[in-house]
Amino acid sequence: MAKDIIFGLYNDEEHLMAAVDKANEAGLDIWNVYTPFPVHGLDPKLGLSESRLHIAGFVFGMMGTLTAFLGMTWIFTRDWPIIFGGKPYWSVPAFIPITFELTVLFASIGMVVVFYTVCGLGPGVTNPVLDDRITDDKFCLAFDANGLSDSELDKYRDFLNGTRHIAEVHLKSI
Amino acid sequence: MNNNFTFTGSQRTLTFALMAIGLLALLFGVFTSPEGTHQARVWSNILHNTAFFMGIAFISTFLIACKISAYSGWHTNFKRILEAFSMFLPIGLLLVLIIVAGLWTGSHHLYHWAADGITDPNSANYDSIIDGKSKLLNPIMYTVGTLGIIGLWTFFAFKFRSLSVSEDKDDHGVGKHEGSSYWRSSKVWAAIFLPVGGFLSPFVILWLIMSIDSHWYSTMFFWYTSASWLVTAVAFTILFIIYLKSLGHLQQVSDEHLHDLGKYLFGFSVFWTYLWFSQFMLIWYANVGEETIYFHTRTRQFPVLFYGNLIMNFALPFLILVANSTKRMYGIMTFMAVLLIFGHWIDFFQMIKPGVYEGLHHHSHDHGDGHGSIIDLDGKPVNVSKYQKDGEPVLVQNDHGHDHKDGKTHNHDHDHGDGKAHNHDHGDGHHHAGDGHDHEGKDAHGHDHGAHDAHGKDKGHDHGHGEHAAHGHDDGHHGGGHGDHGAGGFEMGYHLPGFIEIGMFLGFLGLFLYVVFTALSRASLIPVNDTYHDESTHHHV
Amino acid sequence: MSAVVAKVRKPLIEGYKTYHDITEDICSPTEKVPNIWWIVGMVASLSLLAFGGFCLLYTIWFGIGTWNLNRTIGWGWDITNFVWWIGIGHAGTLISAILLLFRQKWRTGVNRAAEAMTIFAVICAAMFPGIHTGRPWFDWFMFPYPNTRGPLWVNFNSPLLWDLFAISTYFTVSLLFWYTGLVPDLATLRDRSTGMRKKIYNFFSFGWTGAAKHWQRWESLSLILAGLATPLVLSVHTIVSFDFATSVIPGWHTTIFPPYFVAGAIFSGFAMVLTLMLITRKVLKLEEYITLEHIESMNKIILLTGTIVGVAYLTELFIAWYSGYVYEQFAFYNRALGPYWWSYFAMMSCNVLSPQFFWFKKIRRSIVWTFVLSIVVNIGMWFERFVIIATTLARDYLPSSWSYYSPTWVEVGVYILTFGLFMTLFLIFCRVAPVIAVAEVKSILKSSGDQYVGPNAKEHHHDDHHQDETIAAKVDDVAEDTTYSSSSGVSAETDTQTETEEVVVAPPSAKDDLKKVEGIGPKIEGLLNDAGIYTWRQLANTKVEFIKEVLDKAGPRYRIHDPGTWPKQAEMAADGLWDELKKWQDELDGGK
Repeated sequence: MAKDIIFGLYNDEEHLMAAVDKANEAGLDIWNVYTPFPVHGLDPKLGLSESRLHIAGFVFGMMGTLTAFLGMTWIFTRDWPIIFGGKPYWSVPAFIPITFELTVLFASIGMVVVFYTVCGLGPGVTNPVLDDRITDDKFCLAFDANGLSDSELDKYRDFLNGTRHIAEVHLKSI
Repeated sequence: MNNNFTFTGSQRTLTFALMAIGLLALLFGVFTSPEGTHQARVWSNILHNTAFFMGIAFISTFLIACKISAYSGWHTNFKRILEAFSMFLPIGLLLVLIIVAGLWTGSHHLYHWAADGITDPNSANYDSIIDGKSKLLNPIMYTVGTLGIIGLWTFFAFKFRSLSVSEDKDDHGVGKHEGSSYWRSSKVWAAIFLPVGGFLSPFVILWLIMSIDSHWYSTMFFWYTSASWLVTAVAFTILFIIYLKSLGHLQQVSDEHLHDLGKYLFGFSVFWTYLWFSQFMLIWYANVGEETIYFHTRTRQFPVLFYGNLIMNFALPFLILVANSTKRMYGIMTFMAVLLIFGHWIDFFQMIKPGVYEGLHHHSHDHGDGHGSIIDLDGKPVNVSKYQKDGEPVLVQNDHGHDHKDGKTHNHDHDHGDGKAHNHDHGDGHHHAGDGHDHEGKDAHGHDHGAHDAHGKDKGHDHGHGEHAAHGHDDGHHGGGHGDHGAGGFEMGYHLPGFIEIGMFLGFLGLFLYVVFTALSRASLIPVNDTYHDESTHHHV
Repeated sequence: MSAVVAKVRKPLIEGYKTYHDITEDICSPTEKVPNIWWIVGMVASLSLLAFGGFCLLYTIWFGIGTWNLNRTIGWGWDITNFVWWIGIGHAGTLISAILLLFRQKWRTGVNRAAEAMTIFAVICAAMFPGIHTGRPWFDWFMFPYPNTRGPLWVNFNSPLLWDLFAISTYFTVSLLFWYTGLVPDLATLRDRSTGMRKKIYNFFSFGWTGAAKHWQRWESLSLILAGLATPLVLSVHTIVSFDFATSVIPGWHTTIFPPYFVAGAIFSGFAMVLTLMLITRKVLKLEEYITLEHIESMNKIILLTGTIVGVAYLTELFIAWYSGYVYEQFAFYNRALGPYWWSYFAMMSCNVLSPQFFWFKKIRRSIVWTFVLSIVVNIGMWFERFVIIATTLARDYLPSSWSYYSPTWVEVGVYILTFGLFMTLFLIFCRVAPVIAVAEVKSILKSSGDQYVGPNAKEHHHDDHHQDETIAAKVDDVAEDTTYSSSSGVSAETDTQTETEEVVVAPPSAKDDLKKVEGIGPKIEGLLNDAGIYTWRQLANTKVEFIKEVLDKAGPRYRIHDPGTWPKQAEMAADGLWDELKKWQDELDGGK
């Protein structure tokens, strides 16, 4: 399914930030912004809500905690109680290391899986790349140009050309 | 910009009022003190608060040195607060001097190693273990060591402070690539202080705190204590930032700074827990009687302190501060800071008081053998005693090994609280029943005293049993013998802080605040000539 | 968003790098034919691997009776090596996680390689307990599962089992952390490559595009993983220390083991990172990214952790005396003056004394000293574990079973195997992925590049803006003559577009190698690219004055270049007149 994108490339993150500000002032709907590295201060300008990954981490972590602690408790008090080293069956201090490890393990794996899933990334996934230099040194501000009339397209083109420090403007179908 | 803090009349009144409360509590404690305790309650309160607040001052100095050495810039805008804390060190020195004076005059009996005849083989009081430590644990070393080391620290604290304040008055060198001369020389002093502080702090902690339990030892204890100070220092910093901001100062300290301090509070609390757990786990697991006794005493007789310590200093801060949002809420941060200051004050309380309590009630300490003691599921040791009251060893390790094999032991472990479980271990097992709250235990103390005075003289009595006996070192261990003493019992001021403790804490707090306010008022709050000043102002922005 | 940076901070990226330079410098080693040193290294590593592999097979075939372990000394070189490697692995996580949380910017230069070392070191480490079991094909018995033997479970109360969980978790989390950090950089490699190579990197870069939301989540993930990895890295060596504190000799332990093992692990890990990175930066020509500043910072950490370890050793000795507990005292007497006194001596001198040299700034910033001391430190840390294991075990409670142990050639061979394995994996890693985190280095350029901070920085950020503006304006001028245009706009027929086909301008993959022009190196090429010049044709159409201006703005070291002949040369290249160009270049001698 082809989709038309009009985008401008900038040589510096500060140029991009200024252009994003300008687009916000002009009331333009930014489709996406691509950068070679995380640019701080960009998220609020784009109206991105804070990432909620940590919630996933917490939930998975708790699952790990419970799995480990309840698992060991069940095994050593119900399923097959054995005395080790004169310690009681339910030796809480001895359960803590494994409980901790599984908490971290579950939280990490869970978060990473959630991260790749919600971002739509994964082994072999091919997402359209607007410009090969975006992962190098170009900062890209992109607008959705799907089904726009020529005059509407001109509006975007003029806007991009009108931003300071604009390096290139392209239209691409992805 | 309001860059100068004035120590106002009302703040003075507040600090003096707190000090007055402390003094009243102290006097009340002195006059209500029971006979024959050598004012142990008041003296231990002085020691407790001295160690607590002097430690905060020391760790603040250490943090300043860390910050300088690590080129850390972000907390420059509130570095005056840490400097002000470090200015408490000379007062801490004076307070330690009071304890030293008490030691020399025999006014307090906090330290068992200072008891009469303890190193004299001919004395009834002789304790070979303590005798072995007497090169370190004696009044002269104590005096020279604590005062010398704290004095040295004080010197460094003043050095950092004066370099920092002088830099403020001299803007020569601002914005230079090689930094100002103050910045450069503070780097040198900081590099020297880090090993000085690191190598010497164990000795101060050992003399002031660890030697109360004169037989006990743990290599981790010094780190553990320092971590406790560290959390407290961060908590006090947060409180002062919030307070000074509410007065309109420190405009350049933002939510971002607070957020990062919140992370410190969280991180150091977890670090403290890590050290706590490592120490406890190893002692619990290895079950060497000489070491286990420390936790045995605390879990059995001081359970409120033991578990309260963990709840206040780990569970609550972990659950509350783990969320990002809470670290930016002034109300919650204030609450957490207050909680953790109190929590770590309790932590020091539980380091000091049980040992003092033991010393008070069993000064002629029994000579038991802790080897082979077992800690049950709650970390409470059971089956500790090897003796009947007449001094005959009735049990060696194999016995309880046998108990476990017969499969019944676990019932014992699980319901030892009902007071029956331990009867199989030793004749006077009823003492265990109290679980720390048993008021009847008091009877047991009196009851035991006589018996153990007798034991005390019989220093060789336990030779010949247990695997270590051949080495003859067991004789002095008060190890598992505590089990005999009627572990139960509750005494205000030892098992929990009472009005006297809280009052004296407030008094010391007033003194601390007075010193900090004074130090704050003597220099501009924001060090504008500091090379990191701009960086700190734009933290995160 | 120019960063506010204190004047005293030293630059961490040298050579007036642009973003493109960073990409170019770090990615190009993976795109070129390996140089001779790499091949030599690979041959050496594979030889070690082959010999070690033989010893490993020998061990498995004949059993661990081929080792000199005996009834008294049940742990020897194998467990020593295990702990040594695990310790080395700690530096990666420390650099990436703890230094991330403490905002130490210098970590970006070394974190990628250090994390890779973590993973390789853990692989090497995990092998030892695996073969120490004697029947490695039954190693899966170690994992808890309801089995047919009872169901009899593994012993959850044993530190050795905790270790299994700790190492598995550590390996998994390190791998996830490392790979997630690597994904954006693999995407950079993907976008620079063509053909089969592109397909491969496309697979491994997970379809990364650099979208703002992805970066936001990526940063959040990195931060939380760092938060989780920090206690994790502490827990791993803590649990290793529990192994020794609870298992080696009954009734003997010191409670300070956990934090001092962690400090020791960081100590040895940094030493290993230094050893390898000193070579890597030289061979891959990354001196401008792994600067003396990085080396000095790491040396300071070595000094710090070495001194912490020293404090711990002395605390142990002191408390052994203080405890009055004869077994504790004997354990330390035996270490210092027992049959293995020489290993205690090696440990003390290498771990506590040798790092003290780093008090001197000259030595901290000396490559030779650093290299030598980093190796000394790792020798010392190996001895530390040997002291704890062999020395302690050699003297238990039963004098009749006292024993002495030295390894067989097979044990030494298995140790050598891990060097071969570690080096081989690292050399492969250098070839297939950027050894420095490209995106992260870019993100600190403005606060740590030497054109922004340090003594050679341009005085005001204002100038930068001004300069950028003029360049951008010039780009527009140039663009008139070229296919690159910001104003030729999008007037082309949008309805004729086909899938993923560029409409307006030539794709940048049509980029030419401007370095063919004599006088233009990678850095100047980057400058020209920044100015919008990518092809020979574009360069040919550019006015000399404009190129001069670009060079002037880029700083003093570029100002000396004379671009007078560049457009002409570029024209020849564009026209394919290679022979003439070559001839002319020979005459030109350096493009001047």
